[in-house]
Amino acid sequence: MKRSIARIGAPVAVAALALTAMGGAGLASASTSHASQPTYTIAYEGPLSGGNAQLGLNMKFAVQLAVSQANAGTTFGKLAFKLKFLAADDGGSATQSPSTAQSLIGNKSVIAVVGPAFSGATKAAEPLFHAANLATVSPSATNPALATQGWSNFFRVVADDNAQGPGDATYAVKKLGAKKIYTVDDASSYAVGLVQAFDQKAQQLGATVTHQEAPGTTQCQAGTGNVQQYGALATQIQSSHDPVTFYAGYYCDFALLAKALRADGYSGQLLSDDGSLDPHYVSEAGTSVASGTVISCACTNLTKAKADTTFSSKFKKLAGFAVGTYSAEAYDASNTIIATLKKLGTASIKRSAVVKGLHSIVYTGLTKTVHFQKNGNIAGSTVYEYKVENGNIVELGPVNQLVG
Amino acid sequence: MCFTQNFWNLVVSGLYDGFLYALIALGYTLVYGVLQLINFAHSEVFMSGGFASYFILHALVGTNQPTGLASVGYVALGVLGGGAGGAAIAFLLERVAYRPLRRRNAPRLAFLISAIGASYFLYNLAGKEFGRNALEIPTLFTNGPVFSVFGATVQTIYVVTAIAALIMLVIVDRVVAMTRLGKGIRAVAQDAETASLMGVPIDRVISQTFIIGGLLGGAAGFLFGLNAGVIFTMGFTPALKAFTAAVLGGIGNIRGAVLGGLLLGIVENLGVACTQASWRDVVAFGILVLVLLIRPTGLLGEQLGRAA
Repeated sequence: MKRSIARIGAPVAVAALALTAMGGAGLASASTSHASQPTYTIAYEGPLSGGNAQLGLNMKFAVQLAVSQANAGTTFGKLAFKLKFLAADDGGSATQSPSTAQSLIGNKSVIAVVGPAFSGATKAAEPLFHAANLATVSPSATNPALATQGWSNFFRVVADDNAQGPGDATYAVKKLGAKKIYTVDDASSYAVGLVQAFDQKAQQLGATVTHQEAPGTTQCQAGTGNVQQYGALATQIQSSHDPVTFYAGYYCDFALLAKALRADGYSGQLLSDDGSLDPHYVSEAGTSVASGTVISCACTNLTKAKADTTFSSKFKKLAGFAVGTYSAEAYDASNTIIATLKKLGTASIKRSAVVKGLHSIVYTGLTKTVHFQKNGNIAGSTVYEYKVENGNIVELGPVNQLVG
Repeated sequence: MCFTQNFWNLVVSGLYDGFLYALIALGYTLVYGVLQLINFAHSEVFMSGGFASYFILHALVGTNQPTGLASVGYVALGVLGGGAGGAAIAFLLERVAYRPLRRRNAPRLAFLISAIGASYFLYNLAGKEFGRNALEIPTLFTNGPVFSVFGATVQTIYVVTAIAALIMLVIVDRVVAMTRLGKGIRAVAQDAETASLMGVPIDRVISQTFIIGGLLGGAAGFLFGLNAGVIFTMGFTPALKAFTAAVLGGIGNIRGAVLGGLLLGIVENLGVACTQASWRDVVAFGILVLVLLIRPTGLLGEQLGRAA
């Protein structure tokens, strides 16, 4: 009996000793680093797994790059604090995102969040972020309703669908001269808002709009739909003889619809949005089908501006792949946060101070000058149109210039 | 009004969907016939066929589009390659996921769980190994309108699918009706115990049944992939629909599966003529429930042996 107690007791005592030792060491090191320089964590929340992971990764590495450059002093000079980067995966889904948000809120060193990336995920997580007064700057959530909820901590560096949808509609009616337009959405919260804004503007400009909802397919992991639905849908669009078809959704399903339409002999103009702005659209639809498709985005072409080339090459070195949709926006969002932190000075910065600071910050980024309206939307909203030519997606220019 | 507009167009593209459903449905029906078991991993047999044909054609054709007779040859090769891939996976499934359970006289539910587990394993493995984006099977022919019936345009891919499917369906029907192997399948389906007493090697017959189902399902994976590309999630909905078709026609009944597949394809398409694409499944499954209320055993009843 005695021996057995000793046998249990000895390891427990050793473990306890080890714990105190570790605890002591931990405390000591923490206090020394605190004394000289505070450390803040900038977190990124977006899909890092699942079907839309590529979009999430495009942004993740941009945030990571911005943080490491700031620490090295290349972008903002010498800073009074150290920055840490933390990536949190929400799978792009509204069900997963609240728990991801909760873990970021619980992490006391997180001072601001870049993201969430998707509109649905943002909608689900933002009440939590708002309650914790933790600033979130999304590079890509474009659903208009997000800015109308009174979330003072919500910011985004892209124009919302109220800019993109009407921009597309203006292009279709004024530039392409379409009197009749067929619109299709994939039933996602992003696409539904976008297509409503499009339909409204197109009708206002005098066009007749026929609208249909075709849920994203399981094949594309975008909903409950079936690939076979596009045969019948293409037949209906073809028999409408509408000269323009606008698709609100993502590239994978758009490619399937485009193929079905062309195989059915439809020769009208295909139009889509930033969810389709991906080289995979061209590879999945095939060059001949994709050719001529016009795709819009509230984001600008990266390789165009000269200042971007260093960003692009650094990004590629870090990520192992080239910059993609929303990389530059994520980079700008991160740097806007860092600029705000810098402005707040040397004293220990609170989460609420960052929210307040973001409301007044003016920061010139790669894609635009970032300045937020009161509701968190970016001030000014330019929509750019792109076109698929010879298998490449090239920028045509801002809609307001194209329409003239 | 909406029903008559585009009527023939919708029937034609519905038939195309239907042929794919029929090919997949046969895999469910054959296995159900011999084992009274729904092989819920059949969706991954379908997917494996798609990937097998992709890798073969990608290596042989690349980016050069073949023409004329070469096109026909490559399509045939795709069908065979897809079939072989599907058959290999179906054979393995039976060996790994079902036979050990059968040896231990496991309850039916265990088979179901084993099937679902195998399905999850296979499609996640495919996603991990082959990537999360669709892979495009090289273009084997230019798809477009070929001719029209009653004003409905018939595309190249419809013709290719219909011909390939018809050939395979007729062969399977004849094999089950006339060969020694078919006799074995029918015998096991009617009464496995008696069949084994009469000297039918049950294990071998079951293996062969999985292989036949795999051949058809894998070939369907290729034909489907020709249009939509191959991706690890490709099996889910088509296989669910094919299962529906098999039940609609009478599960365990070969001609019933074909009839169910074709009907389901057409009904789905005509259903959306008056509504929207998002109502497709509501219409299809509504009709399935109605049919089953009136004929609980499906349109053609359920005996594999007698109907074939």
